[in-house]
Amino acid sequence: MSVKELLIENAKQGKVLTHKCTSCGHLHLSTVYYCEKCGSKEFENEILEGTGTIATYTIITVAPAGFEKYTPYAFVVLHLDNSDLRISGFMANIAVPEDLPVGTKAKITDFDEHRGIIVEKQ
Amino acid sequence: MEKVCVLGAGSTKYGKLADSIADIATQASVSAIETAGIDPKEIKASYISNVFGVADKQVHLGPVLMSNLGISDKPSLSIESACGSGSVAFREAYANVAAGFYDCLVVTGVEKVTHTGTEWTTTYFAYCSDFFYEGQAGASFPGLFASMARAYLTEFDATEEDFAKVAVKNHENGLLNPKAHLQKKITVDDVLNSAVVASPLKLYDCCPFSDGASSVILCSEKFAKEHGNDYVEVIGSGRGGSPAALQGREHMTTIPSTKIAAQAAYDMAGITAKDIDFAEIHDCFTIAEIVDTEDLGFFEKGKGVQAVREDRTKLNSDISINPSGGLKSKGHPIGATGVGQVAEVYDQLTGKAGARTVKDAKLGLTHNFGATGASCAVHVFQSV
Repeated sequence: MSVKELLIENAKQGKVLTHKCTSCGHLHLSTVYYCEKCGSKEFENEILEGTGTIATYTIITVAPAGFEKYTPYAFVVLHLDNSDLRISGFMANIAVPEDLPVGTKAKITDFDEHRGIIVEKQ
Repeated sequence: MEKVCVLGAGSTKYGKLADSIADIATQASVSAIETAGIDPKEIKASYISNVFGVADKQVHLGPVLMSNLGISDKPSLSIESACGSGSVAFREAYANVAAGFYDCLVVTGVEKVTHTGTEWTTTYFAYCSDFFYEGQAGASFPGLFASMARAYLTEFDATEEDFAKVAVKNHENGLLNPKAHLQKKITVDDVLNSAVVASPLKLYDCCPFSDGASSVILCSEKFAKEHGNDYVEVIGSGRGGSPAALQGREHMTTIPSTKIAAQAAYDMAGITAKDIDFAEIHDCFTIAEIVDTEDLGFFEKGKGVQAVREDRTKLNSDISINPSGGLKSKGHPIGATGVGQVAEVYDQLTGKAGARTVKDAKLGLTHNFGATGASCAVHVFQSV
């Protein structure tokens, strides 16, 4: 299974596959092949819980093709708990900013081939 | 290194154009050649900036342009770097003249997309994001900048009215530019009452999808002096990068590539941000102009919004930001934009900018990025 496929499989389980640099310990999303801190390419897999807080988001009303049926929906950047990592995702059923203040607790619940990483409020 | 000069510039009107992508690219190039007062046969090569040629059934544009100019034996290179393509093409041409490979080049940027409609453009433009993480999860470009806007509203003392003032200011400037796409005076209320595209950004916070082409003639100082026409000197050139996806950035209210590119350009020119008289910067959305003015060093982080509130970025105020009307009003034919910014600086510094002239300007800056600033180029120009 490729790294991307493993990332997707973990997301379906509500988890995030990350790459921890074995030289300096810096944590990256698993799509990175060289450590951005020290340049090493030796990583070990570390699986994080897909829970965190909303770092920022938008509510989209004019959507790209394939997303019309979901509007309004949110595109979110989720700051993962106990790490400095952030990951993007799709969140359904968000209509107004009051529905999703920055800092709201949220979690990855699935991966969908049409909407990517799926995030829901905790 | 050779000193590099811009000897001529030309643009089509930006907006919804009927002619083909190859035709408008040629029209802008002919205009630049005529302004420069050169014979096309003096051009040694072309650099073409374009993203979605496929939308108008024409990729490999360079040879078509060169054939139209009667110089089909000359080489061409097409460059794609999303919305920052124009400044990257300009930079590559600059580097080649500076290195002495060529003494005269044409750089032409072009885009033709309005015939495809809003859904097509929204969808395809999203391919410029880090698609696995962003486009695939439903992010549009308004949505990505809206995410930056949300972060800015959360972090700093700013309001949606402040963002709206950027649009109002750029539309005022665009009214003075006969080639601008949106020549329409608007009010803060017009912006606030326009349809939400991606909260907190409304329709009038967003630049339009535009067709258009811009072209400049770039040459060595020796070539420019021999030809006797007006020219401006390129004194700084810098490029930079940022994490492709917003999620990779610790702060989402700043664009790292802008800072890197600006510092490189300032260092090369031997100046600081305070020396710049006016700037054509990448205001694809109102929030972008505020963030840019901070990242370029014109204002402290978090204070760009205050500068807008105090009208310090209007034409002939503290620093004239986007005298052309910017992407917001002049329009954003994405492949043309970075070249069009250079054309505006050329017009400003050679006394051809008419009613939108920045008074006593000596130093102008262009700032153009791709996607959410994943790639960026900054150039500094000096009047001669």
